[in-house]
Amino acid sequence: MTGNYKTWPMILLLGIITVPLVLMYVYLFVDTVTNSAPGSLVPNEITGEHWRFLWQTLPGRPSIWTATFNTFLFATVTTLIVLSVSSTAGYALSRLNVPFRAFFLAGVMVLHAFPTVTLIIAIFLILQFLGMYNTLIGVILVKASLELPFGIWIMKGFYDTVPWEIEMAGIQDGASRFTVWHKLVLPQVMPAISALGIFSFLAGWSEFILPLVLAPDNKVQVLSVYLAALIADDNNFDMALFKSVGVFYVLPVIVLFLFFQKRLMSIYGGGTKG
Amino acid sequence: MNGSKSLGLMLLTPAIVFVLLFFVAPVILTAVFALTNMSTATGITGGAYQVTQSSLRKLAESYGQAELANTLAETRYTVNEEGLEAIAADGADARLVAEMRAKLGGRSFEKRRDLESAIKTLNSRPRNTRALKALSDTFHRSIVNERFESADAMLRATTNLGVALSADQKSALADATYTGWVWTTQNFTRMIALPDTQRTLINTFIYVFATLAIFNTGFALVLSIATHYMPARPAGIFRAIWLLPRISPPVLYVLLWKWLAWDTGFLSNFLANFGVAPRNWLLDNPTNAWIFIVLINGFVGASMGMLIFSSAIKAIPGSLFHASEVDGASRWQQIRYIILPQLRWPILFITCYQSLSLLTSFEYILLATEGGPGGATEVWALKTYLTALNNYAGNLEYGYGAALALVLVVVGVVLSLAYLKVFDFKTMVRPPRIEQ
Repeated sequence: MTGNYKTWPMILLLGIITVPLVLMYVYLFVDTVTNSAPGSLVPNEITGEHWRFLWQTLPGRPSIWTATFNTFLFATVTTLIVLSVSSTAGYALSRLNVPFRAFFLAGVMVLHAFPTVTLIIAIFLILQFLGMYNTLIGVILVKASLELPFGIWIMKGFYDTVPWEIEMAGIQDGASRFTVWHKLVLPQVMPAISALGIFSFLAGWSEFILPLVLAPDNKVQVLSVYLAALIADDNNFDMALFKSVGVFYVLPVIVLFLFFQKRLMSIYGGGTKG
Repeated sequence: MNGSKSLGLMLLTPAIVFVLLFFVAPVILTAVFALTNMSTATGITGGAYQVTQSSLRKLAESYGQAELANTLAETRYTVNEEGLEAIAADGADARLVAEMRAKLGGRSFEKRRDLESAIKTLNSRPRNTRALKALSDTFHRSIVNERFESADAMLRATTNLGVALSADQKSALADATYTGWVWTTQNFTRMIALPDTQRTLINTFIYVFATLAIFNTGFALVLSIATHYMPARPAGIFRAIWLLPRISPPVLYVLLWKWLAWDTGFLSNFLANFGVAPRNWLLDNPTNAWIFIVLINGFVGASMGMLIFSSAIKAIPGSLFHASEVDGASRWQQIRYIILPQLRWPILFITCYQSLSLLTSFEYILLATEGGPGGATEVWALKTYLTALNNYAGNLEYGYGAALALVLVVVGVVLSLAYLKVFDFKTMVRPPRIEQ
């Protein structure tokens, strides 16, 4: 929508405000493969030394591959739980005559906005009671539960858009409600399920506070905690190394995002972060 | 009809289980913990009884039992069966043991010298001084720093020392030496009394309002309106760039800001060209720290408003813009009279939604400044986290942290219920149609 107004003042204005952001992300990638003289911002040599963490374990840290595997496991299992639970619950809340339906929906809506910080102290103690502190399964269950209200809400929204006629037709032909859901409705919301899946995976991959509090041990450490511990260590300050680990960590996110941008947008519109 | 009901419940069950375990239970437990003094020191499962220097001080100061505390603090020498068996096992003369049992049994002495002189009066006393010393050392009894599983065991040990206790003293001693957690309302009185709380409250308001007004709605509006007046390609590029902070993992995103702000980072290097000494812009003073906190959170927050406002602007019929242009409207007039009125609800939504998420988010502040410098950027949620789960003192105060969290729970629930009212909850929960 350009009309007959000049566009360049708008581009210039936004361009200036966007400069810091562009600088940060450009230097993120540049600094991982180059060296610059101290005090200079222009790189003077190309090097691969900042990527040494891939083949040698950094002092006091677990191997990057352990952390990567843990992160992958964490994000994948969380996603599977979120998908299976919210695709069933979302359907029940959208289409079935469940008792206390309005109450459940209000509950989901309130929980959706419910902050981690208010729960995490109690969760920390619950996991200690259950002996699941410092285990991946513990933090996975917690993360999946915290994602659920959002997942249910999103799935409910997508089920709402499926035409009733499809189900009416199925019922007319004598199918049970379960069959109707399973055979007719579920295929209709596949795009939503894949979008929610990718979203949950990314949310799991990026999660920091929960693993930091609930599973900080080297053995079960995920990449976010690994990177944060690396940065917090004052004795080994190496910005280029931090950035290289950061790029390694963010690559799957960028790849997924480039491939599934359109689908994710439908979810980010209802985003979860501040 | 029934099929729908039972299938619905069946499909809902897993979700209900998860939500009960990790939402409802934690919220209830948060309320419970808020009424205790639970901390690392007290443990979470219950405690033991231990006479320590601090519990003795507590006994003297809070229970008015200074005399008892002094008595317990003294090391004592008591001749009892346990000690007698010990010296017999060490190979002491059987006659000496029998004589001590008969003459000194059950007596206790304040100083070793007293015990030694008592032993010297015995007929079968050891001849050399060293044996005498070793002998009396065996009778050394003190309950300081000893740990007892129950109050009874501790009181028995106290009586064995030769200290007689009244009923009052017994209960005072048991209370003062208990190391487990107890019920208390002190968390809330402390919260109100501490000047820290007020400062945290002010910090929280600054944080929420500044970020919300400047970025989450203000700058988001600028972004969506500016990209609206651009050709599709640059508009897409700008939107993609501004989405980067949202899709970047927080740890990495904050690292980028640290690179910008640290004393060896971009800003210091760049400003060195103009003779400004390098410094850590993120932490050198509270004002700069606040600027960065608002920037860090705002750059993330702006994208959500941008997406929602952009799609709302896209929904405005193009003919409106064309018609207004024919009528000679300026760009400002278009924004003022066409776009902004359309955005009233989206702006309200963003304000409501993000005020709540800002109020309870602390991840970026934790990563960037950890509340520093000197607590200047410590907001309520971060304070809760630091109190209960991570602090330098090493004593994690679960009880006080839970009390702080409970305040957020109450504020959060009240706000979200109010927002639900605003956004017409009824239309979202229309009853299912097949059953009608």
